[in-house]
Amino acid sequence: MSLSQLVLSLADNKQLLGLRYAEWATRAPSLEADIAAAGMGLDDLGHCRVLYGCLEPLGDDPRKSLARDSDPTAYWSLPYFDQAFPSWSHFVAANAVLDTAFTALIQACVEGSQEVLQTRLRKMLMEERYHFLHGRSWLRSGIDPEPLDEAWRQAIAWFGPPDGELAELHGKGVLSLGPADLVARVSERLEVQPPKLRIDWKGWDPKRRREGKGGGIDQRTFDMLRGLEEKRFAPAGA
Amino acid sequence: MTHAYNRVQGAAREYGVFARKLRAEPLRQVGTVVAPDDDLAAAYARATYDEERWIEMAIVARDQLVTLWAPGEETSEA
Repeated sequence: MSLSQLVLSLADNKQLLGLRYAEWATRAPSLEADIAAAGMGLDDLGHCRVLYGCLEPLGDDPRKSLARDSDPTAYWSLPYFDQAFPSWSHFVAANAVLDTAFTALIQACVEGSQEVLQTRLRKMLMEERYHFLHGRSWLRSGIDPEPLDEAWRQAIAWFGPPDGELAELHGKGVLSLGPADLVARVSERLEVQPPKLRIDWKGWDPKRRREGKGGGIDQRTFDMLRGLEEKRFAPAGA
Repeated sequence: MTHAYNRVQGAAREYGVFARKLRAEPLRQVGTVVAPDDDLAAAYARATYDEERWIEMAIVARDQLVTLWAPGEETSEA
């Protein structure tokens, strides 16, 4: 895996996270939480736009060789985002664990040796501070354990195996942290220990950075990402 | 007067949100948020009142304000 493939995975996950946040903008437990969901969604969609813009300067844009107009698996997002969050606990687990995991990698990029990432991603860290405060506070209020464990599992899987290519990028100084450091960073920030997990790295998908080869975003979301969903509301013949 | 709020997270407090656009101007109250703790209040304040290019934003729990007098009460000079 190249650095641009890792950045594409980050960008796709940010896009899906932003979209899933936004879906809760009128369903959160309070008006303030509605607004926060909308605001965080907007932030993450903006972040994914910046990340996509980093792909060319990094040397190659992996999207060129992917059938993103016809194949939902060409989006390299985690299974957690394949469907809308079914509960507020799912929202909070994603906000606390997965958003913080993405931020940990962004920080590792900013502190790493690639100039384009050092300069373009720095502002994201400031904006993500408020996502973190939101997620940690709601996490402390107590949520269902199942989505929390699943979010941890997928975050650890996303960082990849201890001797994988993310670890190699760390070894070269491109990233300031390796997979175990990143897990520790998320745990330290949330002041929560990750559950004890065994990831089957043999069945791990190194591009989509998820366990197993199957699965993908649902059809409606896929249509939405391609700008097709709103055509249902267009005037006849448009 | 501080209202008692009871939401999904349990008891919540009202926070005043203060901001300014220029160094030369003082902080002024731009609104309020209701949250169970300072962290969530900060996240809510930033999300709710982020439409302007503020150079500074601060929050304070309403029950931390020391009120000298309030509307309808006698002033110290009365």
